[in-house]
Amino acid sequence: MCLLDSGYVAAQSAAKPVDLSGSWERRDDVGGGSYGGIFEKIIPKAILKPEYIEANRRETARQNAGDVVSFALKWCQTFRYPFLMQHSAAWRIGQTDDEVIQIPEIHTFVRHIYMDGRKHPDPQRLTPSVNGHSIGRWEGNVLAVDSIGFTPGGGTPGGGHIGASTRLTERFALLDGGKQLKLTFTWDDPSIYVKPHTYEPSYYRSPEDSYALGDYCHADDPLQQGSVVRQKQV
Amino acid sequence: MLTTPCNRDQLCGRSKYRLYLWGRAKQVFKNIDRIVFAAVIVCSSLNAQDAKNATPNLSGYWQLQFDSRNVPRAKLTPQAASANQEELTKRDMFEVRWCHAFGVPYLMGTSPLQIAQNRTGREIAVVFSTRNPGRHIYLDRQHPNSETFDATSNGHSIGKWEGDTLIVDTIGFGEEGLTAIPGGGRRTKDAHLVECFKLIAGGSQLSVDSTWTDPNTFTQPHTYEFRYHRLPKGFEMPNVDCDPADEARGKFLLNPPGTQVP
Repeated sequence: MCLLDSGYVAAQSAAKPVDLSGSWERRDDVGGGSYGGIFEKIIPKAILKPEYIEANRRETARQNAGDVVSFALKWCQTFRYPFLMQHSAAWRIGQTDDEVIQIPEIHTFVRHIYMDGRKHPDPQRLTPSVNGHSIGRWEGNVLAVDSIGFTPGGGTPGGGHIGASTRLTERFALLDGGKQLKLTFTWDDPSIYVKPHTYEPSYYRSPEDSYALGDYCHADDPLQQGSVVRQKQV
Repeated sequence: MLTTPCNRDQLCGRSKYRLYLWGRAKQVFKNIDRIVFAAVIVCSSLNAQDAKNATPNLSGYWQLQFDSRNVPRAKLTPQAASANQEELTKRDMFEVRWCHAFGVPYLMGTSPLQIAQNRTGREIAVVFSTRNPGRHIYLDRQHPNSETFDATSNGHSIGKWEGDTLIVDTIGFGEEGLTAIPGGGRRTKDAHLVECFKLIAGGSQLSVDSTWTDPNTFTQPHTYEFRYHRLPKGFEMPNVDCDPADEARGKFLLNPPGTQVP
């Protein structure tokens, strides 16, 4: 048994990492009818503490009153993670020996997942950021990512919130011969959630000849009502 | 579209040497025609494998230093030389104030920057600390149809390896962003950039030769070199944000517009 276990560990550590690199995009794989509709079908409502339920109620009331353009969208402010994963725009993965990076087409920062075995910095010295601080490791064929240090104030699909102490764990798993990338998100923060908020969207590999599109968001443009990504079809 | 301004002499010399070897082989082997097919298959396979193995790894974080730039003065067309510099700088300040995508070549002059060379060898990304779109260099591909491609401030880049040098060809530039080219002139929609990325100093430095051609701007190709220094492992990219909603920042930059772009 001991020999078997040792052999298994050795085989795991010697295994080549799965190649996640390429362009990934959302598709309506559940009959949602729209990008928002897809998430409504697959993402459960976050189970929140009362003050966050009340905050969501106020936000819904504001939108129902017709105030649907958020300040951040109108002013082209930097999107916070995980917004790039909810957007219709594709995003790309770059993969080196030390890092997996997620490169957005929309106006936000590249997300760095450090794979070299480093730890998170001391929270007292960690500068919060829109993507947080992420470290990853391979668990067999699955990339497991742990993130902390998010700038407070962001949100997640399903009505979740992101605070200073929020932790995100993600699992990236390739399916269907590498054509599909299934992510499992789990947001946890006892000050916000009654229980961890988990959901599993899928992304699909773009055609081999696809290329990153430009992002257009000009806050000086009087017509700017939010973020618009040019989607000229090739 | 890919041109090869890097190491031309070396590559030509290699081709000549191959022709010489072929001539010698014909003299030595009577049945050369019979064995050549198998030999070509074996050699092609070996060459492809060698090339893949020999591809340098540019991945990592890179920094420009005070002595990293060798930029000659560009030879400009009369039209480009007579451009109103004050107006152009005012336009640049507007782009900075509203956080537009700055684009190439400005971003290649910022540091640190990160190069991520995918394991597959199909793409190399160059990403920046400022909130700007990354560059994507698609290897062994063609530029898309210009009728359907939306111009961007980074343009569309394709690359290929020639020995230890990555040759990157970029067209499809838009007019958004910071368009000043080191040495003089401005990026226009007709600009064509060829860059040669090569590791030097045992991989501790990265030389990038940039050659711009554009009939609107230059009377002859304009070439300059940047040398980036490799940052130690464990480095983490800072996020330098840009907030168009920050009114105090807007007033600082535009009332009145500064005369120097960072």
